[in-house]
Amino acid sequence: MIQGKWYAQGSAASLDATLAATSEHTFLIKIENGAAYEGSFSALNVGNRLGNTERKITLEDGSIFATKDNDFIDNTFKKQLFSNDFIHTLESKMRWVFVALVITALTTFGLFKWGVPWSSTKIAYMLPHETNNLIATHTLEFLDAYIFEKSKISQAKMEEIRQHFESKLLPLSEDKEIDYRLHFRLWSDGNLSIPNALALPSGDIILTDKFVELSKDQDEIDSVLLHEMGHVVHRHTLKMVIESTFITVATMMIVGDSNGLADMGVGLGSLLVSSSYSRGHESEADRYAFEQMLTAKIDPMAFSDIMNRMMSYMDQSSKNDKNGKDPDEDIFDYLSSHPTTKERVEIAQQYSQCFKKGLTTCEIVLEPQ
Amino acid sequence: MMKSLKFEGSGREYFKIWIVNVLLTIVTLGFYYPWAKVRNRRYFYANSILNDRNFEYHATGKQLFIGFLVAMTLFIVYVVIQQVSPIGSLMLIGALFIAIPWLIWRSMMFNMRMTSFSNVRFDFAGQLRDSYMNFFVYPVLLMIGYVVLAIGVEVLMPILGMGLTSVISFVVFLTFIVFAVSFIKKKNTEYIINLSRYGQGIFQTNVKTKEFMTIMLKTVGIAILTMFATALVIGALVYATVGLETLVSLKEAANDPQMMQAKMAAIMPIVGLAYLGMILASMFIMAYSMTRQRTYVYQNTILDDEITFGSTLKAKQFAWIMITNFLAVIATLGLAMPWAKVRVAKVMLENTQVYADAGFDQYMTQKQNESSSLGEQIGDAFDVDVGLGL
Repeated sequence: MIQGKWYAQGSAASLDATLAATSEHTFLIKIENGAAYEGSFSALNVGNRLGNTERKITLEDGSIFATKDNDFIDNTFKKQLFSNDFIHTLESKMRWVFVALVITALTTFGLFKWGVPWSSTKIAYMLPHETNNLIATHTLEFLDAYIFEKSKISQAKMEEIRQHFESKLLPLSEDKEIDYRLHFRLWSDGNLSIPNALALPSGDIILTDKFVELSKDQDEIDSVLLHEMGHVVHRHTLKMVIESTFITVATMMIVGDSNGLADMGVGLGSLLVSSSYSRGHESEADRYAFEQMLTAKIDPMAFSDIMNRMMSYMDQSSKNDKNGKDPDEDIFDYLSSHPTTKERVEIAQQYSQCFKKGLTTCEIVLEPQ
Repeated sequence: MMKSLKFEGSGREYFKIWIVNVLLTIVTLGFYYPWAKVRNRRYFYANSILNDRNFEYHATGKQLFIGFLVAMTLFIVYVVIQQVSPIGSLMLIGALFIAIPWLIWRSMMFNMRMTSFSNVRFDFAGQLRDSYMNFFVYPVLLMIGYVVLAIGVEVLMPILGMGLTSVISFVVFLTFIVFAVSFIKKKNTEYIINLSRYGQGIFQTNVKTKEFMTIMLKTVGIAILTMFATALVIGALVYATVGLETLVSLKEAANDPQMMQAKMAAIMPIVGLAYLGMILASMFIMAYSMTRQRTYVYQNTILDDEITFGSTLKAKQFAWIMITNFLAVIATLGLAMPWAKVRVAKVMLENTQVYADAGFDQYMTQKQNESSSLGEQIGDAFDVDVGLGL
């Protein structure tokens, strides 16, 4: 027999009461005012156990018997509580909690490391090619309106690069659905003209004036164009959209019921995860470029040469530009969303060795970082 | 006689519940979330105790599930559009802004009805119209007022000149913001408390804009002092540890990437420290403002002319809990979260007093209509603040 309290339906007034099991499936509840309930277990609705919080048993007339004697309830109503047993068992045994901790850590790691990139890739390729065009609509107009200026490169030079691109690089592309177009733009930040190349998911590739100026020969331009084509072929923009969606939804769920306290930590975590995905994409585009370069008989060192030149140009300029932003910003941004230049150069060298042997495929040994 | 509430849960016990929730949510790819949320809430409510009677959270996972699915779908659409189309995301933010009063109204209703104390349910009798006044019309008026003042500054500038205009505009802006925010705070407090019900009982609050203004002005003063002190401490630390040379020679190091990296490495801890200092300082300022408002609102709230309330939560005490929690959660990569939450619940409840000599026995649950969890779930997904945060 256990002690508890009895509440009439919807009333705040409580009376002392006792509950006893009179047989294997009948009970007796006695209330201090003399009233009593008697019946079979099936007439009772026994609440789930949650830690050691007060347990509520609802009777047929809506009145409630409440007690803190959880163990007695668990033993007496074992058969009725079948479904709740599982979760409470997990919660009450320290070894299960430990197992839960380990599984949680491993699953979270696996999910972000492989699950999200894998399913993003699947979803990205499941969507029709038009999705790529859709997400790129207005992007170029937007960039033109706010970031880029008209290119100052001569028409003849543009035509030369375009011609070369169409005759040499386009035939390499296996995905005929993609409609590549080359654009030339001037991108400047203050007095600084920025060397860069970027690809929109629709197949629009933009080369900045400074990039064209810095490149020494056609091979270097080709290597960067191939890298950009790699982004397009692998649908990286689309993947990034899907991956960020996964991350944001996961973040929301983790932060969910908390009081904003952990927001910052979670934010930092999601930043690290998304820049790790971005590095993955860069490496994938690099690999695409290197493999195509082997096929097209271009020395992969061209890529590492132009990359280095662009890097040192940026370093040099930010030093000279007194009004410019802090130089550390560039370095840290670069480190976070791109693989390190050193790593890229090493891989380029390995591909270059394959190239010199006249191979068209190359096994790359990645050194652990 | 004033009686404090108690929190009887423990970090150890809650940790087990929490980790099982996290596990099941992850292995079900998120679909367990509503059930996890219910278990969390039930644990905190059931361990909140006054006079040997406890609170209870009655929603079930099943009840939350449909709302959860709709909220998730909307949230995913929002996240995707936000990344893909700048115009679309502006429209969505507008739509969310318009929907917020509705979300708050539905959430209040749902959450109050799903909460009971000593077997009697709470309720919320607020109207949607008033929710729009409080969470849409007033904030929009605040923004309009701000724009009008900004235009006023532009007009005055050529007439009065730079110096005088800055002084006048600083005073005018500060007065306007402090007044407008305090006025909105008063209105929100009245809306949420005066329309809350406990059984047949009616809550009543009597708060004044002037008091909120006093609290806010003090908060601004303390914010300036705290930030200044933090900057001073960090400055002293920089001077004592790395010295000024490192900072000065930073520009010269710019030509040499290697040297630059070394310099940056030397400076990073200080940048981190400064950042941390600012976070801690802002936590203290938040704690100050929150505890002061809490004390003021609780003092002036009664239930049925009989039951009165009080808060003894102190800024320093609450800030200490928040700051140590923050550090512990970061240091343990989130594993200290359950303890952190239990500590917050403990300090909040133990500093909440209720004066109820007549007791609660006369209260009875009133008939209520079914209410859906949709608003509550959408509000949860989009992180809309519901309630007063007190």
